[in-house]
Amino acid sequence: MLVEMKHIYKSFANNHVLKDVSLRINEGEICALLGENGAGKSTLMNILGGIHQPDKGDIYLDGNKVVFDGPAHPINLGICFIHQELNLINDLPIYENIFLESEYKSGFRRVKHTYMIQETQKIFERMGVDLDPRTLVKNLDSSYKQIIEICRAVIMEASVIIMDEPTTSLTDSEIERVFAMMERLKEQNVGIIFISHKLKEVMEVCDRYTVLRDGKMVSEGQVADVTTKDLARYMVGYDVRTDKLVREREKGAEVLRAEQLTCEQKFRDISFSVYEGEVVGFTGLLGDGRSELFQTIFGADKITSGKLYLHDKEVKIRSTMDAIKHGIGYLPRNRKENAIIKDMDIVENSAIASWEKYARWGIIQHAVHKEKLSELQKTLKIRMGNYSNNITSLSGGNQQKVVLAKWLSTNPKVLVLDNPTQGVDVGAKEDIYDIILRLADEGIAVIILSSEATEILRLCNRTYVMYHGHLQGELTGEEMNEQTMMELATGGAASISVS
Amino acid sequence: MTEQNTNVMVRFLTWFKHNWSNSPLFSIFIALIVMVILQTIVLGFDYPTFGDWFQSWINNWLNILRNNASIAIVALGMTFVIMTGGIDLAVGATLVTTGALAMTLLDATGNGLLASMGITGWGAIVITIIVVIAFGYLLGALIGVTVSRGMVPPFIATLGAMMVFRSVTQHYMQGASPRVPSEFLLISNLKIGDYMIMPIIYWLVIAAIMYYISKHTTFGRQIIAVGSNERAARLSGINVKKVKFWVYALSGVLVAIAAIIQVSRIGSMDFAGSGRGMEMDAIAAAVVGGTSMMGGRGFILGTVYGMLIIAVLNNLLNLFGVPPLLRDAFKGAIVIAAVLLQRKEQTS
Ligand SMILES: Nc1ncnc2c1ncn2[C@@H]1O[C@H](COP(=O)(O)OP(=O)(O)OP(=O)(O)O)[C@@H](O)[C@H]1O
Ligand SMILES: [Mg+2]
Repeated sequence: MLVEMKHIYKSFANNHVLKDVSLRINEGEICALLGENGAGKSTLMNILGGIHQPDKGDIYLDGNKVVFDGPAHPINLGICFIHQELNLINDLPIYENIFLESEYKSGFRRVKHTYMIQETQKIFERMGVDLDPRTLVKNLDSSYKQIIEICRAVIMEASVIIMDEPTTSLTDSEIERVFAMMERLKEQNVGIIFISHKLKEVMEVCDRYTVLRDGKMVSEGQVADVTTKDLARYMVGYDVRTDKLVREREKGAEVLRAEQLTCEQKFRDISFSVYEGEVVGFTGLLGDGRSELFQTIFGADKITSGKLYLHDKEVKIRSTMDAIKHGIGYLPRNRKENAIIKDMDIVENSAIASWEKYARWGIIQHAVHKEKLSELQKTLKIRMGNYSNNITSLSGGNQQKVVLAKWLSTNPKVLVLDNPTQGVDVGAKEDIYDIILRLADEGIAVIILSSEATEILRLCNRTYVMYHGHLQGELTGEEMNEQTMMELATGGAASISVS
Repeated sequence: MTEQNTNVMVRFLTWFKHNWSNSPLFSIFIALIVMVILQTIVLGFDYPTFGDWFQSWINNWLNILRNNASIAIVALGMTFVIMTGGIDLAVGATLVTTGALAMTLLDATGNGLLASMGITGWGAIVITIIVVIAFGYLLGALIGVTVSRGMVPPFIATLGAMMVFRSVTQHYMQGASPRVPSEFLLISNLKIGDYMIMPIIYWLVIAAIMYYISKHTTFGRQIIAVGSNERAARLSGINVKKVKFWVYALSGVLVAIAAIIQVSRIGSMDFAGSGRGMEMDAIAAAVVGGTSMMGGRGFILGTVYGMLIIAVLNNLLNLFGVPPLLRDAFKGAIVIAAVLLQRKEQTS
């Protein structure tokens, strides 16, 4: 199906988000939609998904004009939307989530559970996913959820699939599988719109690209004709650096030490230490347990055994509040579920972790928090309207920046950042890296959890690699390269010795 | 109509439409105004002078407010509970239990607990107030611990508590007919000028405090965070258990205050019937006022409006002579209509 969006305009109150944008998706083609955070990508796709109505402009399917009257309409016409923020029903098993729309179509007819389970199993085999279709979605990690959303689009046999940042919480091996799937869909003449801030992926899988800046289309063409550098420049308007940023600093005192931390079923026997002014990476594949490890250290889960030392003194962290009082900050992955309070405004979302710290007699110091946010808004370049707007009115990347601001304003001594640049554009990513390096210069121990090898290599002085809840190895200096990291992450032994 | 007039009309309509669809409180407020107008019309204008009419209008209103003050205070506590995503079905039972304690302590028929210890007069009244409020806190805290530490779903925990509290109270108070000393009645019946408005003052003061708490304190905002996304709240360093504990404890305290007001208004209490259905009215007031049963969204001001709407409705049903057994049908319909109204503005 050929989809054309012509001269689309859209504004929210006084915020003119889309200004005369046209987009064309051909059959059997993967089209990248690029742009900075807040450029209007998701808004444009929300219009194609029937969630928003355009103020002006038309949509044509195979040359016929259509006006969508709700999100169900495009689905019936074969347009499937994988949202930036995941949209699965937590209390249903995987297979029912995958068949959600089609199940509705069957009305009161008997739901065929065995059939749905079998079909789900089939698609999992094709995707190389090792999961029981009967697992409840709420027991899944966010990366599995993303994969399930993708499977859902495949099963619906859509003729156009919109993927709004489908790979933000996936690791390289799953991304490869998703790409293989996309190639197969392409052969079946499905048109795909692919939104991503990871330009390497775009180069790998897309045919054509369209770049939005400030709601206008600024560039368009064949991916084969450009480099990632070009794409980055089109998006932000200047050349984005790609060099290594690691800085050697005097090794300070030890801040955090873990000794044989164990949490049954999640991780086992983890010992490591982190020093002042260090940027330490933790990496691994899906299911390596690094997020669980640091959520436990942060007090969100109970430690089964093992000891934790802060500044050489043993501490028992029983709650997240304890952790914050001890100067630990933890920015979780998957912001929609773990970080965003959708019923609160922007300032509150940025201040929630430091309310207690600044409060006098339990009264929140709104003015202090506003001031902090306005400072951080400048350094992080958060694009927002009014501070009192709801957090959900921000674009995905800008929400992520607000979550980062929340942790920066607690002034932590140890800052754990779990996938900190999830959905952040190429320009803003560099700003965040600068902030991380500056924090380290100030003597703060920064721990970065990431599955992006380049992120780790560019920023970290040292890296731990995890595999199935075990610490597989520690890498520094020359050894720290993509290949060794991959070897350890897939279960290889730490046999590479320092010469 | 002149062009200028049309212009003003258009501007007003745009303003109205904007607020109607963007501010939940606005639509509730409009509904309240409609109710007030209805109430005024039903009261009639058949008076010799404007002064007479105004006097009777005021009196009618003060009556409505006074009659609903204690349940309105309960509804304020209920709002916080619902904002965390919970529910408190035990408020009616807590009211009877704390009321019974107040009367047992103060009984002027010769069996009063405090009198038997030689404490009488205002001293006894002050002690009673303190003890009853502390007892309300205790009952609320019991529920709070069950919900926050014991992880028992609020519906179950408070349903159970409701049955326990009510049954124990009824058992121990059967046959008893305590009477409170006349000074105690002053708590609600003291006249300010010509008006008996103490209950209304308590209500407004507590509503103001609750409003402040909900907007400007860490506790108040943490309630929203917990109700909206408990996991994210915990990962932001909020002590979720503490917040949950305190909303139930606070609800208990407010119910105890409501019990004191209720007892001191008429000097007696029906231990079998008092507070029955109160939880439903309190929930209704909160829901009509825009509080979401899913948690995360709620307005103290909305609950005040919601309570007023329900109170006026009660009064109107009375004035229209609707048979008592049919009145709940109207109330139920209004609650559903109010929620439908808000639902519409959310999706559009
Ligand atoms: N419902 C809404 N109400 C008000 N403003 C909105 C709403 N949705 C989006 N916006 C605004 O529209 C602009 C574009 O947002 P959009 O989500 O389309 O950005 P995006 O290109 O997808 O960015 P990202 O890469 O961060 O996901 C932002 O400035 C955002 O604040
Ligand atoms: Mg987006």
